Amino acid sequence: MRVSASRVVVALAVAIVAVVAWQRWPASPPKWTPVEVAMLRSLWIESLPELPPDPSNAVADSTIAAKFGEQLFFDTRLSSNGGISCATCHQPERRFTDGLQKGQAIGTTGRHTPSIVGTAYSPWQYWDGRRDSQWSQALVPLEDPDEHGTDRAQVVNLIAQDETYRATYESLFGELPDPASSDRVMLNTAFANIGKSIAAFERLVMPTPSRFDEYVRAVVDQDAGSQQRLFDDDEVRGLKLFIGEANCTQCHNGPLFTNHEFHNTGVISFPGDVPDKARVAGVREVLRNEFNCLGIYSDDVEHRCAELQFTRTGSTLTGAVKTPSLRNLENTAPFMHKGQIPTIAEVLQHYNEAPDAMIGHNEAIPLGLSARQLHQLEVFLGTLAAPVAGLSGADGILVEN
Amino acid sequence: MHRIACCCLFFCLCVVFSQQNALAHGGVVEEDDLCVIKVNYLRAHFKVYQPRATGHEQYCEDLPSASESIFVMEYQHDSLSQMPIDFRIIRDVTGKGRFARLEDIYEISDIDSATVFYQPPVIEPDVYAVNYEFIEEGDFIGIVSARDPETGKLYAAVFPFEVGFTGFGYWPIFAGLLVLIQIHYLYMSGRLKRWYGKSSTVVTGFAIFLLLAPPVSFAGDVVVTYTTPDGDPQLNRMHSWILHIEDEAGTEVEGATVEVEGGMPEHDHGLPTKPRVTEELGGGDYKLEGMRFHMSGYWEIVVSVTTDDGTSIVIIPLRL
Repeated sequence: MRVSASRVVVALAVAIVAVVAWQRWPASPPKWTPVEVAMLRSLWIESLPELPPDPSNAVADSTIAAKFGEQLFFDTRLSSNGGISCATCHQPERRFTDGLQKGQAIGTTGRHTPSIVGTAYSPWQYWDGRRDSQWSQALVPLEDPDEHGTDRAQVVNLIAQDETYRATYESLFGELPDPASSDRVMLNTAFANIGKSIAAFERLVMPTPSRFDEYVRAVVDQDAGSQQRLFDDDEVRGLKLFIGEANCTQCHNGPLFTNHEFHNTGVISFPGDVPDKARVAGVREVLRNEFNCLGIYSDDVEHRCAELQFTRTGSTLTGAVKTPSLRNLENTAPFMHKGQIPTIAEVLQHYNEAPDAMIGHNEAIPLGLSARQLHQLEVFLGTLAAPVAGLSGADGILVEN
Repeated sequence: MHRIACCCLFFCLCVVFSQQNALAHGGVVEEDDLCVIKVNYLRAHFKVYQPRATGHEQYCEDLPSASESIFVMEYQHDSLSQMPIDFRIIRDVTGKGRFARLEDIYEISDIDSATVFYQPPVIEPDVYAVNYEFIEEGDFIGIVSARDPETGKLYAAVFPFEVGFTGFGYWPIFAGLLVLIQIHYLYMSGRLKRWYGKSSTVVTGFAIFLLLAPPVSFAGDVVVTYTTPDGDPQLNRMHSWILHIEDEAGTEVEGATVEVEGGMPEHDHGLPTKPRVTEELGGGDYKLEGMRFHMSGYWEIVVSVTTDDGTSIVIIPLRL
């Protein structure tokens, strides 16, 4: 009896060691198949196409407008209490987010502050896409009582009062209308022009190459040494999961890791709020917004506006929010449209479970990944960290590195 | 005889249970695993969440704890999306408990003092949701009313419910036992096997039918091909298609009304855009604008071609 008992102990010990060894020392990283290499290339920052023009904004690519926009972006005079600028919530050092669940300015905003990085590529702004250009988006917070709390007449008045601003404005757009003028169209035009200048600055806020991008180069070049140096085993496996089993690239695809579209992924409601209807309401708003691409303040005289003309509406968009980019996640917690989820690990856990949506239909299906696989995904996402490229303004506000 | 009696008893119990459920919910009933609220003839999928206490867990009426509660109505009837709807929760002062009816509500002299939550009438075009944080446990009554904007008629649903609901006690165990006894009986009598045998034949038959049934794309009498003048379709890029439509004999189809839908059957969602044919180019060619794919994988583009002869539907499979 004694002998057989000790045999059992030995057998158990061997089994435990084998399991631990299998967990700790997995086989060498998997090789990338041609299909996977194509997928990696599609996510590579070097695959990012040239920034498409914004025909609705005549000064979109003007350097003078961008510098003007940068000044406006950081100017706290554009608020009812003189203390709020765009950068209050869109903080460059936090990848243009604020680290809060919901934005805090004069009051509390309705949703989590989204990043500005790379949004020039997106046909839709806001989590619910209720604006169709960066410039029309920039106008909304100025007049929101919980954000800047000012109005278009006050904004135009500030430009009129500040000699430098006035001169810059007039060099770009011609004579500034009298802020006290009762001509609504003239006032709106000047207000839209201010948004267009801010947008010219925001268009320059772009992600820069990350360690992931270096790794893709090494894969493309078939440089095994660099691959090993750049990514550890868990990161490689995390990437493999990301483009495979975990279905992440269903939505987080392309070099910005977003399809710029709207999806319901069953995120829980924010305390005290009803579940967010999001896109189904946002699309209605953008279609009737006077500052949209089809409106009279748009510089696109041909009114091409394909995105607006062919956008989908209807109940299938209930609870659908815009896919955020996954580049530069560092320093941007909490996550989701109302900051409901504090860490990336918990976000991954959410997708692993894919619970039923409170309203609408959760498009995601449960992943059923192991804790170790979720960890691998998390470390992979860390490889997308990188500095942000922006305009190096006269005062060097955005100069990083 | 004994077995027949057992079956009868079981059946009666089932009927009693389901009846009780229907009564207990008032205007809210469970149908095919779906909780439905009936505001007169207007119906909506009804569900309640207590996100802080139980996350994504759904309730049909009784709620486990006094905490933040979100009542959701997803309309099954479109007209609800155009009606002002109001939502009231009162403490149960009717003394009727689970049997409270709309008439009992009308008899309450001071409804405001019994009201713990009131959402004034509002038109919610997509989905109706309210959020109320219960402060105490107890018996409550929910009242949803909707006014028809055309006739001015007021429709209402009343549903009594309990907060701090502890469950059904031993009844589910009892019911479970009955089911087990029944299954045991069916198994021992060999009936289960016979049924299974039969149903598997039916399933196999159905599967064979599905396999033999022609795919929809060949059901029509037109052939649709497409070209992409802006280059191959790329992810997240708006582009146009030229659809070329011919009938079975190879004659170009002209003057047709062409509508396009599409989606990913594996993901149960449609295209991100609503593409449409903007121009007939002649020679059976139609310009389709507003195409954009936002996910890689298997897509199906459904083209419906309507001519004087009727409508044909063609499915174009596509892998991106």
